[in-house]
Amino acid sequence: MSAKPVLDKVRDVVNEVDFNRFRFWFQLVAFVLFVYGGYLAIDLGSKLPFFSCGYNREGRAGVCYLLPLQHQLGRPLAMLFSMASLAILTGFLTFVLWFIVLNKGWCGFVCPLGTLQDWISALRRRMGIRFSNYTQGQFAQLTKIKFVLLALMILIPLGVGGGIFSRDMSPPFCLICPARMILPMFTGDFSQFTVDFSSKTAIFMTALGISITALFLVGSFVKKRFFCFFCPMSALHYLISKPALLKLKKDGSKCTRCGDCYAVCDMEIKEIADDVKTTDIMTDDCTLCLKCVASCPESGALKATFAGIPIFVSTEAGFIKRMNKGCQHGK
Amino acid sequence: MKDLARYCLGGMLALLLIGNVTAQTGLDEHSAHASSDVVRPRPPENATPEERRAFYQKRAAERVKAGGGGDPVAALARTAPGNATLDTAPVKRTQDKSTPAKPEEPARASGRPAGMGMAMRGGGPLWLSDSPPSRGDGAARGGMGGMMGMGGMAMGGERGGAPSKRLWLRAGSDPQKSGFAREDGEAINETLIVRPQGPIEGEALPPPVDGKKNLLFDMPVQGYYRVYASSRKLQGEVLNVSVAKAEISNFGHGGDEEERAQALVAPRVLESAPIEIVREKAPDEKTFFQLKSGDEQAFVVLQKGLPLQGARVRFVSHEGWSKEAVSDEQGRVNFQIIRDYFPPWDDFKKRFKASYLVIAEANAAEQGMFKDMPYSSVRYQTTLSGNYYPSPNDYRSYAWGLGIGLLIVLFCGTAVYLYRRRRLKPFREVRFDER
Repeated sequence: MSAKPVLDKVRDVVNEVDFNRFRFWFQLVAFVLFVYGGYLAIDLGSKLPFFSCGYNREGRAGVCYLLPLQHQLGRPLAMLFSMASLAILTGFLTFVLWFIVLNKGWCGFVCPLGTLQDWISALRRRMGIRFSNYTQGQFAQLTKIKFVLLALMILIPLGVGGGIFSRDMSPPFCLICPARMILPMFTGDFSQFTVDFSSKTAIFMTALGISITALFLVGSFVKKRFFCFFCPMSALHYLISKPALLKLKKDGSKCTRCGDCYAVCDMEIKEIADDVKTTDIMTDDCTLCLKCVASCPESGALKATFAGIPIFVSTEAGFIKRMNKGCQHGK
Repeated sequence: MKDLARYCLGGMLALLLIGNVTAQTGLDEHSAHASSDVVRPRPPENATPEERRAFYQKRAAERVKAGGGGDPVAALARTAPGNATLDTAPVKRTQDKSTPAKPEEPARASGRPAGMGMAMRGGGPLWLSDSPPSRGDGAARGGMGGMMGMGGMAMGGERGGAPSKRLWLRAGSDPQKSGFAREDGEAINETLIVRPQGPIEGEALPPPVDGKKNLLFDMPVQGYYRVYASSRKLQGEVLNVSVAKAEISNFGHGGDEEERAQALVAPRVLESAPIEIVREKAPDEKTFFQLKSGDEQAFVVLQKGLPLQGARVRFVSHEGWSKEAVSDEQGRVNFQIIRDYFPPWDDFKKRFKASYLVIAEANAAEQGMFKDMPYSSVRYQTTLSGNYYPSPNDYRSYAWGLGIGLLIVLFCGTAVYLYRRRRLKPFREVRFDER
C-alpha cells in the first residue's frame, strides 16, 4: 500500500470528523489543563496568549501575558526606558512565539473564558432560549471597542509608572476582566468577588470589575461569545497575526455565498460569507473556531492551513455527514 | 454613581467603626486578663520609705534567685513551656492605649535586667532594620515595594544592575522609636552575611564606611540573604551574647527558575550562630509572601543550629504591643499578628508596611574566659525583624461585591427579558379571499 492513499484516507477522516464533538473535548481538556494544571505542578510560564488567569493562584498552569505586560509597563518611566525594558521585549517575543503556533485558535479552542462562554451558550440552547444578534451598524461600532481597551491597557500602566494615575489602577485590564473573578472560582477561591474600599480608585475599579463580570454572565447567556468582541487580547492577536502558522483560507471561486458559514459564526462575521476575493479571510473578530469550515458544503471553499499545509478542508461529504449527525442529535 | 460611592463610603466607615470597636474590646479584654494574671506583691501602704526600699530589694533578690528574669510574666511563662503556642493565651499589653507613651525600654546596662531581663547595650536589644530611625516605616516605597525584601521591602541598587539592600543596626524594643545602636568599645562585634549561593558558614560583611551607619550589600542572585550582627560583651561575671538577624528575600518574576527553586528549599539556619530566630515558612508559602495582620506566624529559636527549649520570646508589633511566650521542645513559638494600624480612613494605605520585632533570650550556666576575664554564665539574646501589612479583610467587602454583582445580573436579565418581550409580534392571521 502506497503512502498516498493512506494520507488521503487520513484527510478524509479529518475532514469528515464530528467537529463539534472534537472541539468540545478539546476545549474541555484545555480548560481542565489551564484551570487545574497548577495542582499537577504544570507551569507553562507567564506569556500565554489567552486568559489563563494569574489570579487563579493555585490552579493555573500558566499566566495570561496581559498581566505581566501591564505590570512591566507600570514601572517607573526611568526604569522603563533603561536596560530593564529588555525584559519587556523578551517577554513580548515569547508571547509572539506562543501565539504564532495557533494564531487566534487560542481563543477558539483553548481560552478558558471563551470555553466558558460556549458552555453558557450551550446551556441557553438546551433551555430553548433564542440568542441575540447585533445589527450590522451595532457590530461595526462594537468591534472597535477592543482596540480602545487595548490602547487603554497600554496607556494606563504607563500613566501609573509616570505617577499620573494611582497604583490602585494597576493592572487596569485585569481589574475589569471577568476571568479574574470567574476562573479562580473553579478552584474554590472567591476572594476576587470583593469591593476594595482602601481608596476611591480601588472602590471604582473593583466595583467596575464586578459589574463587568455580571454583564459577562448575562451577555454570554443571550449572545454567543459576548465578551470576545471587547477582548483586548483578541485585538493584540490580530495586530501580530501575519506570521502565524494556523490560517483560515477561502477560495472565493468555489464559494456559492450560501451563508452557512455566517449562520454558524459565533462572532457574526459577515465577510466570511460575502467576501469572495480575500484568501486570508481571518478578521479581527474571528476566534478561529473553524465552525465555518465544518459547516461549508463546498469542497475546498474554506480550509484551515498550518504552515501552508491544509489540515482541515470543507468537503461535501463532511458536510453531509455532519448534517446527518446533527439531524440524529435533533431527534 | 455619586450616591453609590457615598453609600460605599458610609458602609465602609460603619464597618471600620465595628472593626475598631471589636478590636478595642478584644484588646481590653486581653489586657484585663493579662493584668489579672500578674499580681505583683506591693509594700504595705503605711510603710516608711526605708521599709519600702527594703521590701523592693528583697523582691528583686528573690526574682534574681528565681532565674534572672525581670518580668513576672516572663517568669510565669517560664514555668509553663507547654504554653509556647499562645494562641488562646492573653495578649500582654505593655502600654495603656489611652497614653501615647510606648512600652518602656529596658533599663540601661547597669547589670540589672529589666523588661525581658537583659540589655546588651544602652537602649535595648540590637536589631537590624531596613529603615533608619529618622525615616521610620509606613507606606511601601518605590515601584517594587511589596514585592521583595524583609517580607516585602523595597530594594535599592543601580538601575539595570543587581539589586542591593541597606540595613541599619538599631537598639531598642520599639520598632518605631528605636535609635541607632551606639558604638561600644568594650564589645566584640562581628557581622556575617549568608548568601544563597555563598558559603553556608557565611562571609564577613564590611562595616559601614564614610561615616554612614548602614550595612550595604548586593543581591545578585535570587534567594534569601541572611545578615547576622553579633556582639559579645562582659558585664560583671556575665557574658552577654547578642545576635541581631535579618532575612531578606530577593525574588523576581523573571530570572532563573532553577535558581529560585533551589533558593526556596535551601536551609535558612546558620549552625555557628550562638542563637538565632528563624521565621517558619508556611507549607504553601510563595516567593512573594507577605505577612498580614491576623496571620499566625511561628518562629523557631535555635542555638548552634539546634532547637532551644525554654527561651523567652517576645513579639513586638509596630505600635509597640507585645506578647511573650516560651519556646517548646522544638524551639517553636507561635504568635498571631495583631491589627494595630488604625488611621483615619482617608489616610488608610493598604500597602502600609509595619515592622515587627521578635526578641528571644536565654541564660546558660557556661563558664569561660572573655578578653582574659572569667565569666560564670552567659546571657543569650537574639532578634529578628520583619514586616507585615494590613489584612485584605480590613478593606475588602464580599457583601458589597456580591450585592453589586447580583444587582446588575438582575437588572440586565430583566432588561433583556422585557426588551425581547416588547419586540414579540403577536400572531396575526391574514385571510385572503381567493375569489
